[in-house]
This record gives sequence, C-alpha cells and structure tokens, in this order.
Amino acid sequence: MLATSFHTPKPSSRTSPHLAGDLAIWIFILAELGAFAVFFGAYAFTRAKHVADFNTAQLALNRDAGALNTLLLLTASAFVVRAVQGAQMGSGIRDARWMLGAIACGMAFLIVKGGEYSAAFDAGISLSSSIFHMFYLSLTFFHFMHVILGLVILAVLWNGLRLGRYGVNNMNRLESGAAYWHMVDMVWLILFPLIYVIH
Amino acid sequence: MSSTETHSTARRTAALWLLLILATLLTWHLGENQGGGLLTAALLGIALIKGLIVAFDFMALRHAPPLWRILVGGWLLLVCALIGLAFWKGSLT
Amino acid sequence: MQYKSQAVAKPYFIAAIGLFIGQIVFGLVMGLQYVIGDFLFPMLPFNVARMVHTNLLIVWLLFGFMGAAYYMVPEESETELYSPKLALALFWIFLVAGAATVLGYLFVPYATLAEMTGNDLLATMGREFLEQPLPTKLGIVVVALAFLFNISMTMLKGRKTAISMVLLLGLWGLAIFFLFSFYNPHNLVKDKYYWWWVVHLWVEGVWELILGALLAFVLIKVTGVDREVIEKWLYVIITLTLVTGIIGTGHHYYWIGAPEYWQWWGSIFSALEPIPFFAMTVFAFNMVNRRRREHPNKAAVLWALGTGVMAFLGAGVWGFLHTLAPVNYYTHGSQITAAHGHMAFYGAYVMVVLTLISYAMPILRGRAANSNKAQVVEMWSFWLMTIAMVFITLFLTAAGILQVWLQRVSDTPMGFMATQDQVALFYWMREWAGVAFFIGLILYVISFFIKGESKAIA
Repeated sequence: MLATSFHTPKPSSRTSPHLAGDLAIWIFILAELGAFAVFFGAYAFTRAKHVADFNTAQLALNRDAGALNTLLLLTASAFVVRAVQGAQMGSGIRDARWMLGAIACGMAFLIVKGGEYSAAFDAGISLSSSIFHMFYLSLTFFHFMHVILGLVILAVLWNGLRLGRYGVNNMNRLESGAAYWHMVDMVWLILFPLIYVIH
Repeated sequence: MSSTETHSTARRTAALWLLLILATLLTWHLGENQGGGLLTAALLGIALIKGLIVAFDFMALRHAPPLWRILVGGWLLLVCALIGLAFWKGSLT
Repeated sequence: MQYKSQAVAKPYFIAAIGLFIGQIVFGLVMGLQYVIGDFLFPMLPFNVARMVHTNLLIVWLLFGFMGAAYYMVPEESETELYSPKLALALFWIFLVAGAATVLGYLFVPYATLAEMTGNDLLATMGREFLEQPLPTKLGIVVVALAFLFNISMTMLKGRKTAISMVLLLGLWGLAIFFLFSFYNPHNLVKDKYYWWWVVHLWVEGVWELILGALLAFVLIKVTGVDREVIEKWLYVIITLTLVTGIIGTGHHYYWIGAPEYWQWWGSIFSALEPIPFFAMTVFAFNMVNRRRREHPNKAAVLWALGTGVMAFLGAGVWGFLHTLAPVNYYTHGSQITAAHGHMAFYGAYVMVVLTLISYAMPILRGRAANSNKAQVVEMWSFWLMTIAMVFITLFLTAAGILQVWLQRVSDTPMGFMATQDQVALFYWMREWAGVAFFIGLILYVISFFIKGESKAIA
C-alpha cells in the first residue's frame, strides 16, 4: 500500500479507493492528529482534577469569538472544496477565487483570535496564571500556528490555480494542501467545544 | 466516470456547509446552559458528526482505502470518547 | 568517484575512525572504574576519562559529518568543491587542535588548564560536553565557519538539491547553536537553560537534519529510487523533527527552575519525538524494498537500514521511556539516561556516519564496493557492535531501574554510593558487552584491509 499510492493515480484508476492527496502529507496529518489528541486528552484529564477552577476560568472566555472562528474555518474549508472541485472540472483558473475566499476567512480567523489574545494579555493572563490558562493559551496557540501554516499553503495553491497548474491529471499537490487545511479545520471542531463550551 | 464521483458536487458542498454552520450555532446556543452529563454528550456528539463530515466529505476520505477511513474516523471517535470519559470522571467528584 | 575534490573526505573519515577507537578505549576504562573505583587512579581520574570519552565522540562525529559533506556536496551540486586546499588545511587544524585539547585534559589538571587558556577572560569551561578550553572553542568556530563557507560556495555555484539544502541547514544550525557555549550566565537556572540550546538543539534538532540528509543521499545512491520521492519523505521527516525537537527542549526544563508549563510542553512534544524517527525507519525500509537496482555494496545498505531501526529504538523508544515529567521526576540523571544516551548516539549518529563511510570509502579507494570477503567482515562488525550496544543499553536500563527503585522510590531510600554497590553486577555485564563492542570495532577496522576480488566502479 505504501508503495502504490505514492503517485497521483491516473484518472482511469479514480474509481478504486484512493487518498485525496499524497501519502506523505497523510502521514504528516496523522502525526499532527496524534499531537492534538495528546493535548486534548491532557486537557480533559487534568480538568477532571480541577473541575471548579476550569469551569470558572472557562466562563470568562469569549465564547462568541470562538463560535465566530468556527464559522470562519468551516466556510474556508467549504471554499477550499469548491476550488478543488473547480480544478477537477477543468475550471481551476476561474475557481481560484474560491481559494482567495478561503484565505480571507483564514485571515479573519487570525484577526479574531489575535483580538482574544490581546484581551487576555491585557487582563494579565499568561502561561503561568493557572493550569486552565496554560492549556487555553498552549492549545489555541499551537492551533493558531497551524492556521498560519495552512494559510501559507493555501496561498501557494491559489497561485498555482491562477496559473492553471492543476487539472484532472494533476491534482496531487492541490489535494494534499487542501487535506492539510481541512485537518486544521477538523481539529478546531473538537477544540472549540472542548475549551470554550463544555463544562 | 466523472469528477463528481471523486469530489462532492457544489450543491452537496453547500448543503453540508449549511449543516455545519447550523450545528455550530447549536453548540454556541447550548453553551448558554448549565453543564450536565447529557449536555456534554450532546455537544461531543455534534462535534463528532461535524468532524466526520469534514473528514469523509471535504477530505474525500469516503473514497479512501478502508485503513485511512479507520485511522481518521477512529481518531475522531477516540478523541471524543476520551474527552467524554474524562468529563464523566470529573463529574463524579 | 565523480569529482576529484571528493577525495578530501578520505582523511576526515580515517581520522573519525581513529578517534572512534580512542573513544571506545576510554569508555572501557570508565566502565571498569564504575566497578573498580581506583583503577588507573590517580593517573586517569574518572571525570577526566568521562570528559575524553564524550568529547572524542563529539569530535569524531564532527569529522564524520564534515567528511560526509565534502563527499556528498560536490556530487549533489554537480561541481568540484570550491576549495579542496582549504578543506585539507582545516582538516589538519582541527586534528591538531583536537589532539592538543585531549592531551591537555590528560596531562594538565583541569583547573590549571583553565588558568592557562584564558578562562578568566571569558569563562566557558566546566560545563558537561562543553569542557573545551577557550582557544579550542574559538578554533571550532573558525573551522566550522571556514568549512561552511567552503560548502556553501560549492553549492552556490552548482545544482541546489533539497538534500543538500537540508544538510546545509543542519550544518549551519550546528555552528550557530554552538555559539551558546560562549554564553555562561552566573544564574544557575539560566546557565542550564542555555546549555541545552547547544546540547539538546544539536542532537534532537539540527543534527537530525544532517542525519536525514545523509541517509537520504545514501538511499538514493544504493536504491535508485526517484529523487522526488525521497525528497518528499525528507521534508516530512525534517518538519516533524524540528517541531517536536525544538519544543521538546522542554523536557530538560522540568526541574531546573524554569516555569512549570514546561512540564506540559516538554512532556507532550517530546512524547512525539519518536514519530520522525519512526517515519525514518519506514522511509529507509520502504525505499530499499522499492529499489530499482542491486547495489554491490550490501554492507552500506545494511548500515542504512540499521540506522533507521537503531535510531528509532535508541532515540525514540528509549527517549520516550523517561521523557514524561511524572516519570522523569524519578528517573532524571540516573543510569536510564546513560542507557538512552548510549543507544541514541550509536543508533542515530555513529551509525549514519558509518553508513556514509561504508558507502563512500570504497568509491574513494577506486571501486564501487569492497570484495565480498571484506563486506562479510564488515557485516559481522555491524552485528557485533549493534548487538553489543543493545546489551549495553539493556544492562544500563536494568541498573537504572534498580537504582531509581533503591535510591528514590523505596520507603527507606539508600544513598547514592550504597546504591551503586547494589547494581555493580549490571555494571560488570555492561563492561563485558563493551568489550564485545570493542571487538566489533576492531573487526570493522580490519575489514578495510581485506583484499580480494573487488567490484569495478558501477
């Protein structure tokens, strides 16, 4: 399996099961998911020992900002899907604008999150304030860095789309980058309820 | 064979996007309530379904070899189960 | 050999093997001092033997890396080395400076050595692994910069490949992080804090880039797999390495007075450090299974695969064993650390340098591969050294577990020296495993002198 799915399958083989994107990026995605799983588990089980402290600190978070950011990431992901569909149909150059839309949503995410951070720092919150804040800052910042990396990748893909580099026979890079972005989105879908909502 | 088999159509994407948005708004709304075991389970269930939609549709895992569907789907299940377990443990004390 | 200037790698490799022998001899002496405390005292105290053992390791690996770079970069860049003369001059400077430093350790009391070499001008001595006197440290910087200049200029005028870029990044990182050995704050917390920027960010950061690049280079050569495929894996591996390795520095910050959040950051990210090593193992085996040619140098292929497996075991598994803060609370600074250190250094860095030497040395001597007879002896040395190292690691791990139990976990904890007496049996077994390792090393050296029907250049 490792050996055969390395290259983009030819269109004729599209009916057989295949990964959208390169095997290497999927191995990378697995490693990322592993990292986030460990972080989520550590948060949840540490919380079990400090339920009251966590609940109090959690209520002070800006849940609206968290929800807004979820909407932004989901929208960005849907836009990325549209751009990939476009390239698949042979209209990648025209549909590059979907990718631009996704990038805009991702940037908006960073701005909202940046606002949250500056409010937190103004309130004197740091990694050493409390165990909840240690997790809140660590987890969201680790994810924040992923959004930045994802945006860099989307920008490269947008450029490639604009130049008409991707088409039905050349989807490997586009699908690999898209898969990475969706992973960043998927992780946030767990992170948001876990840190902002469930108590 | 058309590309529609490899990736979802625009209409399907729009429908799923709407579903995801509504689910997020539901999560946001439910967060207003006091906590509780049932609510936690509901919120985790919503998160799981959202994650599965992104993984299987957006990431096109439904066309992937079974191993990969199990790996990523299993990751979502495992993470949600672990979180559920930890919150249940926390509610005991 | 495709480019004449690659020949400068040869003296580097020879010096590396020579110093490797020295390192093992001092290791055996120390191993004996563990159980016979006054062995060779006062001629060679334990602390001096230890300093020579670890410093020789670092120096010979540096010789190996430099030789590897001189061999690899012309071939990757498809051009002659910028200045072979400079490379040779640096070789002699580095060798003489290294030898003088070791002689200084052996024949001058350390405090006197510090006085003689201007440690009062800028205090840099006395820190583990960075014991070198100021002139030696400055010499290392000068040699490293001139070496990097030579390699970078070669790359600038030739083809730029992903593999050589990763190698260069690793080598520059090596030089830059060494600069922190000149920063020695009085505050003990800060002292340790930045000391790890050299020690940790070398072996769990930039050196891994060098490791990845060297392994990728040899794998391309011996398997004939597409460069594009190998480079893709290299990118994945180095990204995982850098993220887990850099943040994983936190596992050294648990108990030195750094903020508490490092216990979380360090635990989580260093728990992930085995992943890039695992990827490297999968990568090496996958590439060899997909090989498009049967390279006559079977020994080099064996070393390459061995590097993948042993690096994963030594650095990955044995590192994970004691990296989580709650475990490390009991195990830090015990023989478990020594077990991990031995297998990680051997599995990752010793073996990758030997892989490159095994691949390049026959070519530097005018043949694609050594005779079958020589290769068989080399493979015997591979198995002997590798299995001996596994046993050294297992015995030290057993000693470590017993030590932690008696000294730190038990209700009636024993003192350090009393505990050492209790684990002496494991130290004896470790010493015998060390002797087996030494025999393997001798066999390795012998394999270079075995003649026989050699394969022509492919």
